[in-house]
Amino acid sequence: MGFFWIGARSFGGVMPWAYRTMVEERRWLTHADFTETIGLCQFLPGPNIGNASIVLGKRWFGLAGSIVAFLGLMALPFVWVLGLFMVYSDLSSNATLKAVVTGVGAAGAGLFVGTAVKLGRPLAKKPAALVLIAACFVLVAVARVSLLMVVPIGLGVALFAARRGWL
Amino acid sequence: MSLVELGLYFALLSLVSVGGLPSVMPEMQRYVVDVKGWLTPSDFIQAFAVGQAAPGPNVLIASLIGWKVAGLPGAFVALGSICFPAAVIAWWVAELWDRFKDSPWRKAIQRAIAPIVVGMILSGGVVLATPGSPDWRLWLIAGLAAAGMLATKLNPLWFLGAGAALGALLL
Repeated sequence: MGFFWIGARSFGGVMPWAYRTMVEERRWLTHADFTETIGLCQFLPGPNIGNASIVLGKRWFGLAGSIVAFLGLMALPFVWVLGLFMVYSDLSSNATLKAVVTGVGAAGAGLFVGTAVKLGRPLAKKPAALVLIAACFVLVAVARVSLLMVVPIGLGVALFAARRGWL
Repeated sequence: MSLVELGLYFALLSLVSVGGLPSVMPEMQRYVVDVKGWLTPSDFIQAFAVGQAAPGPNVLIASLIGWKVAGLPGAFVALGSICFPAAVIAWWVAELWDRFKDSPWRKAIQRAIAPIVVGMILSGGVVLATPGSPDWRLWLIAGLAAAGMLATKLNPLWFLGAGAALGALLL
């Protein structure tokens, strides 16, 4: 049930709410546990918080727990986002509204760039990491090569570099 | 037909979505807009905007794209297929990960994934801010949002709100 509430009130990002609900209010997890779990989920493919719901649901209640936690997390936001989009689709012939929403999209794109810079800062002293970031960027954003190629090859090269102690 | 293609492709993307949905945004855009032509670049950025502004996990953006491609079934298929393969992996890996806590391989994997994720998220931001031909106004809004996020600790919703205001003024 907790995940249902996390999903229900997660305006502006789920993670802070997940922390508040599970660690501060309900005390299902300690701070260290939460950090460890999220750390793992950031490395797995898939939506981070979605993975966290699977991992924690499994730990507490097995398969049923994973399914309930995941569906609980997604249910209300799914309805809301589709509802919002339906309303928007009806009104999208309005030029001002379209400009507003496009502005939000551009700002959201900017937040991605900001996130990348934040995550990248600890890597800035490692030349091999910078080369990998630049190579990824050129392949994906400029040359538009499919991620289905870039990710496996990139991870292979990065893993080799990491084993050599370059990363 | 597009429903099946969408589902299969998103399921593949699920497997390479290290770092979460932001990492695969550039690829979704490439496939849905450039390769298949199901959405226009402007449709795509608007679906993205609605998904960012609405509460909930940002993976729901996938369901909006599915909705645009194939209606309500598209929304379910897109969300399910982007989540399911990754969820199965999370299910299996959770315990293994604990068991290999001190393995050098685990540390190498963690270090290897970081730069790839940074490269992909950076690409996602640039691709999203450049729907079709480059537009300085979108870049300006994106640049301000990025700078604001790095310079302050405000909730990201403030920057989306500022983007909305600038969008109304400039676009």
